[in-house]
Amino acid sequence: MSETPDRDDDTVLAGEYALGLLSAEEAAVFEARLGAEPELRALYAAWAEDFAQLAEDIPAETPPAQVKTLIESELFDTPRHSIWSWLGLAAIGGGLAVAALALAVFLGADFLKDGPGAPDYVAEITAEDGSLTIEAAYHAGEARLVLERRAGEARPGRALELWLIDGDAAPASLGVLPDDPHAVLEVAEGHRAAMPNATLAISDEPAGGSPTGLPTGDVLAAGQVSSI
Amino acid sequence: MRDRDEIEALLARTAIADRAAFDDLYSRTSAKLFGVVLRVLNDRASSEDVLQEVYVRIWRNAGRYNANGLSPMTWLITVARNASIDRLRRQKTQPTGDVDVDDVALADPAPNPEAEMLRGAERAQIVACFDELEAQRAEAVRRAYLEGETYADLSARFDVPVNTMRTWLRRSLLKLKECLSR
Repeated sequence: MSETPDRDDDTVLAGEYALGLLSAEEAAVFEARLGAEPELRALYAAWAEDFAQLAEDIPAETPPAQVKTLIESELFDTPRHSIWSWLGLAAIGGGLAVAALALAVFLGADFLKDGPGAPDYVAEITAEDGSLTIEAAYHAGEARLVLERRAGEARPGRALELWLIDGDAAPASLGVLPDDPHAVLEVAEGHRAAMPNATLAISDEPAGGSPTGLPTGDVLAAGQVSSI
Repeated sequence: MRDRDEIEALLARTAIADRAAFDDLYSRTSAKLFGVVLRVLNDRASSEDVLQEVYVRIWRNAGRYNANGLSPMTWLITVARNASIDRLRRQKTQPTGDVDVDDVALADPAPNPEAEMLRGAERAQIVACFDELEAQRAEAVRRAYLEGETYADLSARFDVPVNTMRTWLRRSLLKLKECLSR
């Protein structure tokens, strides 16, 4: 224990929090600090990982089937109408759902100026309330994805990251969007084949993009790629 | 670490409301989490109810799972444990006094030792570090985690004043951390 008393105090406090030993008031103060202090988050995460080892050998027990049924009826007891409800985006709290494709809106002349020829595929990546709308045009020959942000922007100090969602595979990052509403990305070779049938989604991420390679923040907008 | 990557990918897809991924996540993790919930609550009816609550939380919060830097399984276990302890404390029920928490560290190895090797090493380390504590102090930490016991519960169990209990436990945490960081 060569560390400073303050750090020892925080180590203990993070451990007490991870064990659930703090009073409600103490826990609330700790949680407020957690949001602002990465070092404290790291102390807490280390304890959570350590203590989770204690749960490793708790015997697993298959829950009765009705539990799953109840979960589904609590979460999904609304009609599913379309591919968009596959995304179930209204359930994410941000109230995201996806608008129908509106190709005519974004096939304006300026949009096509960006390169020779018309795109092969397009998508409108949009939040239900229109607070974020990005039009995407994909030129398959050059693997060029042209993006025009028509509405919305990254939250202060945060970034917008674009994801390719292909069937059941994990989302793959296509890149962090620049501040400039206009962006051109080259789609990496490994993702090109998936583009024509993919869903594109935008998530809210720390500046510089997701630290994990997978979306970590709210999903703000999504849209299905379709041929033109 | 393949399991970890797969669970992480399922959580990422659950975060964008992919129901197929959520189904898969449920079938792969619900037995483990039900075990954790049962361990805390020791009552099947309320455990089923809490497990339902746990997966509703997972569906709604999957996108934030690594906001605190937790690994996916630790996050899931933490959601399950915290929901169970919330329930326990709301019910004001005394946790069972008979459960021997020591057997947790001594129970059979995980069924898939190869995939679990790394976690196995981590587990061995924490077991070894708990062994360096005095038996009662180690048990106090285990009971806080696995049974959701509070300082008040622990001081009654070990028949010491609450402040003494708190001092014991805080010292135990520092010793554990010192051992774990060797």
